[in-house]
Amino acid sequence: MIEVRGIARRFVQGHGRSARTVQAVDGLSWVAADGAISGLLGPNGAGKTTLLRIVAGLLAADAGQVLVDGIDVATQRQRALARIGVLSDARGLYPRLTALENIVYYGQLHGLSRAAAEARAAGLARTLQMEPLLPRRTEGFSQGERMKTALARALVHDPHNIILDEPTNGLDVPATRALREALRRLRDEQGKCIVFSTHLMQEVQRLCDPVLVMARGRAVAAGTVAELCAQTGHDDFERCFVQLAFGDAVEEGPR
Amino acid sequence: MIGAAWTVLCKELRDALRDRRTLLTIVLSSVAVGPLVLVLLSTLVAGIEQQAESREIVVAGIEHAPTLRNYLERQTYSIRPAPGQFEQRLQDKRLGEPVLVIAEGFEAELARGEAPRVELVLSSANPRAQAGASRLARLLQGFAQEQATLRLAWRGVSPATLQAIEVDERDLASPAARAAQWTALVPFFVLMAVLYGALHAALDTTAGERERGSLEPLLLNPVSPLALVLGKWGAVAAVAMLIALLSCASFLPGQWLLRSETLAAMFRFGVGEGAMFLALLLPLAAALSALLMAIAIRCRSVKEAQANATVLVLAVSLLPLLTLFNQEGEAPWHLGVPALAQITLMGRVLKGEPIAAWELALPLMVSTVLAALCLAFVARSLRTAALK
Repeated sequence: MIEVRGIARRFVQGHGRSARTVQAVDGLSWVAADGAISGLLGPNGAGKTTLLRIVAGLLAADAGQVLVDGIDVATQRQRALARIGVLSDARGLYPRLTALENIVYYGQLHGLSRAAAEARAAGLARTLQMEPLLPRRTEGFSQGERMKTALARALVHDPHNIILDEPTNGLDVPATRALREALRRLRDEQGKCIVFSTHLMQEVQRLCDPVLVMARGRAVAAGTVAELCAQTGHDDFERCFVQLAFGDAVEEGPR
Repeated sequence: MIGAAWTVLCKELRDALRDRRTLLTIVLSSVAVGPLVLVLLSTLVAGIEQQAESREIVVAGIEHAPTLRNYLERQTYSIRPAPGQFEQRLQDKRLGEPVLVIAEGFEAELARGEAPRVELVLSSANPRAQAGASRLARLLQGFAQEQATLRLAWRGVSPATLQAIEVDERDLASPAARAAQWTALVPFFVLMAVLYGALHAALDTTAGERERGSLEPLLLNPVSPLALVLGKWGAVAAVAMLIALLSCASFLPGQWLLRSETLAAMFRFGVGEGAMFLALLLPLAAALSALLMAIAIRCRSVKEAQANATVLVLAVSLLPLLTLFNQEGEAPWHLGVPALAQITLMGRVLKGEPIAAWELALPLMVSTVLAALCLAFVARSLRTAALK
């Protein structure tokens, strides 16, 4: 379970006179429960990646607290990280290593023995249907193959909490479907806490249980897709999302 | 933390060793450097020796001077008549010897005691001919002296009256020190090989990791940034040290290739010298690796890092020139400057001069401090670098 309590984070862009402050995350609270795929939906620049980086302890928050299975990320980062698997926005692989070596490397960094990491990689390869990829060097992998390898790498230590930042970026339809299937199995069979961040409504609609809609660093709505639609009075989730995410801005904006 | 650093080190080494083409280029150039420098040096020295040994002079109009010919032949010189248009040939550097021109009335004027005029034709833009000119001038001086001595003796004057003082030359340079003039380039090439050996690996593990987008996921592992940096540094330094080892070792068989016997006798590079070179280079390899990583971690791409690293490469290649151009010799502060200290000390190893323990300890300490500072900087910048 991941609990986010009143997280805030600002960035200063530029130097000197041209410097301006951007409030990337603005006092956001949220809980991603076990045994569920929690959606994090927001337009580009809503602060999703910043929030997830704070959850993973890559960025320090200006205010607030993040608890992963009750462990404070800010004070016990390494213990918390051992319980999270993150497929981040950047998912670079080592092109001269094989997919298996890429996965085993992370396993070893998580404290697994080589044999244990290899066994785990083989199991993940079955789940993600990427067994033929394992002995190949990752140089020249397609987007889908890269994503699968990066996902297997993020899950090699069998984390209880899984964070996926825009995982379907660049994936074709069969790969997206295979990923969705794999995530459902992880949720149903192992009761994992999965956070799925995206700007695509269709993904959320097909996969997520509860959804948090983010805009300009704030949580603007939360609930299942059906609840959100009911809340806004739209049948169409896209119109519902547009109203939730951009509604205020359209009214307030200078246009 | 040590376990994690070891995992990183093994991975980075495997990654570096898989990059066969780059590795092959670096290894080949570092191994080839030793023998290549030696062969170039020996060709140069052999050429100079050959000219010194060839007892041949070029004269135009020797038929006008039988007495001079007699003298030259007594000095066991053979005389070659000057080719046609020798002035043009000298200017074009097609003729490598100065030319002595003797006028028609030479013998008669000499007999009359009138000091006949000869002409020594050379071009100061032609270095080969220039080298022979002083030898020829000395020969003529000898001939003049002999004639003068004979005349004085004829008149009953002791030849010693002409010689007010006597000059004895005493050369203080040992054979090793003389050779060091020629072999001063050797430490420089070894140093550059080490720097280029570390360059690629250092850039790939820092700026390369940023460029690939693999630094952010790497930091999501429950490992401290310092452990990651130590592992990476270990791998880079290992590659740099391997290059240092290969480069030093290449000078051992390289000696067989020496064409000049004098140089082969003077260029002392045995296992002992090789070990001293390594003792000096290994700490420097470690420090330069850390410094390159510190430069590269600030860069978003390998290309940008290469541009930045050029400054360091330039500095390291210019520092040794200080010792070449510095007329005042070695200053104590030289030993406190990385790269310069190693160049200086390696030069002294080649000259066969003793090196005190503190002179080894000072550069070692400087290298250690430099490496520690750079590694701390890289570890601190790692997280910020991953997110930008």
